[in-house]
Amino acid sequence: MAILKRLYPWGPVFFGIGFLAPLFAALMEAFGIAAPLGLSEIQTGLLIGTGWGLVAKFGGRWI
Amino acid sequence: MSTNEANASTGLDREAERRLAQQEMAIAKKYIGPFPVFMAVWCFTNLACWLALWPLVFTGTLPLWAGFIIATINVALCYLPSHEAQHSNYAAAGTRLRWLNELIGYVSTIPMVLPFKVARYTHMLHHTHTNDPVRDPDYEVIAPNWWQAVLKTIARMQPRFPNAYGRILGEHSADPMARRAGLEGAAQTLAYWAILTVLAWSGYALEAAALWWGPRILGVIYISLFLSWWPHHPMKEQGRYRNTRSFTFKFGNLLAFGMEDHIIHHLHPGMPLNRNKAAFLELRPLLEARGCRLEDHHP
Repeated sequence: MAILKRLYPWGPVFFGIGFLAPLFAALMEAFGIAAPLGLSEIQTGLLIGTGWGLVAKFGGRWI
Repeated sequence: MSTNEANASTGLDREAERRLAQQEMAIAKKYIGPFPVFMAVWCFTNLACWLALWPLVFTGTLPLWAGFIIATINVALCYLPSHEAQHSNYAAAGTRLRWLNELIGYVSTIPMVLPFKVARYTHMLHHTHTNDPVRDPDYEVIAPNWWQAVLKTIARMQPRFPNAYGRILGEHSADPMARRAGLEGAAQTLAYWAILTVLAWSGYALEAAALWWGPRILGVIYISLFLSWWPHHPMKEQGRYRNTRSFTFKFGNLLAFGMEDHIIHHLHPGMPLNRNKAAFLELRPLLEARGCRLEDHHP
């Protein structure tokens, strides 16, 4: 429980990496959006998901 | 406002109050009691429908957009059968069918990921302290109108907004039931995130988003609006006969999930949802005599 309490505030970052990253990659594939800068879809998803998760963690909101 | 204060405001003397209470109980007893088959069938049908969406969408039998719409309806519908279980309306503790009561409580809300013990613990506090700004776990939904209530629920989903149920459980951490609820809640929430992650990294991110993650957000907003905000708005009064209102929803009681008669639930929580309307119609003269909040209820 103590470990969970320490990890809990980082939940948005875990969510960004664990769920949003592959979701963005899947959306890019589904809509035929090419990944920029020679990156793959999942690399782009990881960048966006992690970044958004960090924004949510430190900014306190997703939207 | 206490019952006595409510009576005083409606000019009821002690004898009239006693007579009203007897009449109220006599009517309520007619609707409390038989096993709520309808609510139990609702639970398992809704859950089976939501579970069936997964193979149907995975195999391409059902399009993703259709799965999303049905799953959203499933999430919105999943709370109320569990709500009956929270009040032990399927079977009281120590009775033969108690296992069924607890089973419904646990499985019904799987689509919305609301841990049963957390729901029961906080809901009992909601009944005890309805509209109390500090002690009512549902008070945070307070908003001046319905669309601001929707925005408030979205704001409550943001990381910076403290989880009201978590705060309440923390405040009651000396209570073993609260600690147990917290543990079960943490385990179920972690399991949800783990399943979403595994699905997403296994190539089913769109399916996980369309059948669970997205519908859960929309379903929770709908449930919060109709079960917490609408029946208690503006959340200014306390006391048995004034803390909940009766209202008429212009798109029908079905879309309001039967919450037009939520006042009956707060007066008699042992009465299953599907009997509230009939009970309300019979109890209405008594509620009017009590000065209950029926001002928004049209005939």
